[in-house]
Amino acid sequence: MNAEGIYDAVVIGAGVVGASSAWHLAQAGLSVALVDAEGPAAAASGASDGAVSVASKKPGPLARLATASLLYTRDLAQGGPLSSAYHPRPSYIFGTGSAESAAIDALIAKLAQLGTAVRLRADGDATLLPGVGTGIDRVVALEGEGHMPGYAAVQGYLREPRIDRFWPAPVTALEESGSEVRIVLGTQTLRAKRVIAALGTATPRLFPTLPVLPRAGQLFVTDRGLAGQLPGALTSAAYLLAKTTAPSVLPKPPVVIDPLATGQYLIGSTREDHGDPTRVDFETLRELMLRAVEAWPALRARRVIRAFAGVRAAVSDGLPIVGSAPGYERVLLATGFEGDGICLSAVIGREAARMTAGLSPDAALAADFAALSPARFAQVQEGAA
Amino acid sequence: MSGGTIFWGSRAVPFLTGESVASALGRAGVRSFGLGPTGTARAVFCGIGQCQNCLVSIEGRSAEACLTICRDGLHVLPEAEGLSDV
Amino acid sequence: MFNPEILIVGAGLAGVAAATELARAGHPVLIVDRAARAGGAIHRQPLPGQAGVATAAARWNRLIAEAEALPIRWAFETRFNGVDHQGTALLTGAENRMLRPKALILTTGAREAVRPRPGWTLPGVTTAGAAQIQLKTMGAAPQGRVVLAGSGPLLIALGAQMTRLKNPPVAIVEAGRPFAHPLTSLRLPLGYLREAAGYMATLLAARVPILTGTRLAAIRAEGETLVSTLTDGNTSREIVADMVCLHDGIRRNDIGLTDCPALSVLRLGDCAEALGARAALEAGRAGGRAMAQALATGTTPTAPNSPLLDRERAAQARLARIYAHDDFAALHSLPSDTVICRCEGRTLDDLRALGPAPRTRELRLLGRFGMGPCQGRFCGEWVARAISDTPQAPVPAHPLGEPRWPAAPIAVADLHAAAPDTGAAPPHPHGVHE
Repeated sequence: MNAEGIYDAVVIGAGVVGASSAWHLAQAGLSVALVDAEGPAAAASGASDGAVSVASKKPGPLARLATASLLYTRDLAQGGPLSSAYHPRPSYIFGTGSAESAAIDALIAKLAQLGTAVRLRADGDATLLPGVGTGIDRVVALEGEGHMPGYAAVQGYLREPRIDRFWPAPVTALEESGSEVRIVLGTQTLRAKRVIAALGTATPRLFPTLPVLPRAGQLFVTDRGLAGQLPGALTSAAYLLAKTTAPSVLPKPPVVIDPLATGQYLIGSTREDHGDPTRVDFETLRELMLRAVEAWPALRARRVIRAFAGVRAAVSDGLPIVGSAPGYERVLLATGFEGDGICLSAVIGREAARMTAGLSPDAALAADFAALSPARFAQVQEGAA
Repeated sequence: MSGGTIFWGSRAVPFLTGESVASALGRAGVRSFGLGPTGTARAVFCGIGQCQNCLVSIEGRSAEACLTICRDGLHVLPEAEGLSDV
Repeated sequence: MFNPEILIVGAGLAGVAAATELARAGHPVLIVDRAARAGGAIHRQPLPGQAGVATAAARWNRLIAEAEALPIRWAFETRFNGVDHQGTALLTGAENRMLRPKALILTTGAREAVRPRPGWTLPGVTTAGAAQIQLKTMGAAPQGRVVLAGSGPLLIALGAQMTRLKNPPVAIVEAGRPFAHPLTSLRLPLGYLREAAGYMATLLAARVPILTGTRLAAIRAEGETLVSTLTDGNTSREIVADMVCLHDGIRRNDIGLTDCPALSVLRLGDCAEALGARAALEAGRAGGRAMAQALATGTTPTAPNSPLLDRERAAQARLARIYAHDDFAALHSLPSDTVICRCEGRTLDDLRALGPAPRTRELRLLGRFGMGPCQGRFCGEWVARAISDTPQAPVPAHPLGEPRWPAAPIAVADLHAAAPDTGAAPPHPHGVHE
């Protein structure tokens, strides 16, 4: 910070988006502080499955930004902050029945439009991937995606020593006056020229007008088997459908089977609008595991050793919120990623840092960032009025 | 009261009615139950199903040797040998 | 929609006593246990045809006779995997289903604390409790040369039981100096003194070496034998054995047991407070009555209390003073490659790599402590002590995070076979007590 004790920028929220933003600000030579109510990756980032997935993103701005972020994540993994966090691996989508097969066709078309970052390597039946259940009609193998546990990514960014850290420190007020923002942390107050609010599920606390909802997801972890038998995430095509619809449309949660480096499997996940992380139940576990075993029958021999729920910040229209915060001149919002923050964090952090430094977003991405602006909610309200 | 025989790999191990797999193996002089997936030795430690250190593969499933009651003909392997998915 | 049954987890003293009181009050009761028979740890029964090693057998025989005369449903070889926020319990094993009981009584007993040492993961190194369970089940002492080490009254009790079964331990290594507190000892309840005197007479007659003020610092394997290094602070010596049984105290076994707002839940016996057998029986009886009354009046049951429980608390506090030692300070001087977390093979080095004051999240997600299938039962306390400046001081009950289910790993095949509870009558009599 400068001689008057004012930071160039304060980032609120030490999840993967906030940590990436802080790292990029520090690289630009700005003085930066990172604040969190609890600590690094304490919410959705720490409870995520870690999939860096373009395939699961909604077509349009989100899929294009995810593609750019995947490419940039790979760069940051080449000796950069994500070198020990990001691991490339193949990914697999499986489907049964015509609706799921159509979803896979749409996915292939979407990926072709997005260029070569994620490529279709193979498209076939269950024999395409040894170990897949024989009741599965269709499997496609993709290459180009990867795995990055949210906690590891945050740790990677936080190895940058020029980031001042404040936690546990909930922000109780955010006051903008003139050329300065005051970030009140209970008894302590930080002063900054600019703020990036990467608040995730805590967004409504400081921005109550924004339609950000806590959406819980139950996740289950098995004991260890031999690592590497399933080479990458195995995702139900029903998940692609679910990501483009409201949670209530599909009666049963689609399954994603994520092999961990330990030889364990992470099985997820539900989308539940109550946002209560203590609601984890046996019937949901059973439903998910029934579907998981259909896709990967060897899971039948495993044991579930951990059950938990993460809470993602979901936005009513299914798009994140990135842009100037309503009612503020000097506060940039980067929130509402609903689990997509793992994949998007690299590019969002970079561009949020650029915008905070007074620069425009990368020209190729400008239109897509415009679609994420919080101004879209103001327009809806004005239009309705 | 003799209950029958279980198999530790190819080795036949007699057991008493109601006896746990861990007990039958231990009385047969088998105290190392091979390796787990991390390469750590599997063996009885707490004896009551809490520590998870005596996991073996029983009929293709990982299970605590100390909690599993022997049934005639049961096939038991070191845990790491029973883990293949495909 | 709730099942009319009250679910009791654990068929030891507390569980069977609670079941008896509830059944007598007219409530349908299902009691489940992972073991093949009732008895719990204290009254573990011998296999059919084997001689029993009776400790207070009359107490158990009276209780079980009373229970078996009542309409209680028993399910053995049945695992309680936990209760979720909706009040659904998952049972796997012989009775394999989901159950939404009318109320839940947890009597999951105690677990042993074993302080990490080099070599404590070697085959042939077990807890003293494991050896005692084996002894009670087979009616025979473990074979070969056996060293009992650590701290607490269990070492003396197990040593005496082994001696009576013709294989006395080669040594009992006790970190405390229990014989240096005669005045405190004399204030123990008479029953404790009588039991201890019996054990000591057996051990003295058999000339079993009891090394007090002595720590078992490390174990190494030499061929099939285990070589233990003992130290009394001044000198070190080695002792050769075939088996080493460690025990550093008793803790309540409440890992994975969550509270459930949808259900009346009582925790009774050692899983609520590790006070031993007399207290478990008393708490089971009183807790069963409290639950019956609460169900009759639509109120929340309260944990039992009584003069007897107070006396047992005082006795346990005296025992803790009698057995006081500074062994846990050794955590700070262990070799850095000593395994702390047995499940994941995480060492003291791995713990130190997390920095000076790691938070729970870092301990778990980066250190992987408490992330294995035992859920931190065997490492949580030692992680907390090792990162504390004062390893002797009390540590939080759940240093690696609040309990969450599963209370025991859930076999996926069993989960699939576990039909959700429809509120209908119990499915089949499989596993019912014969």
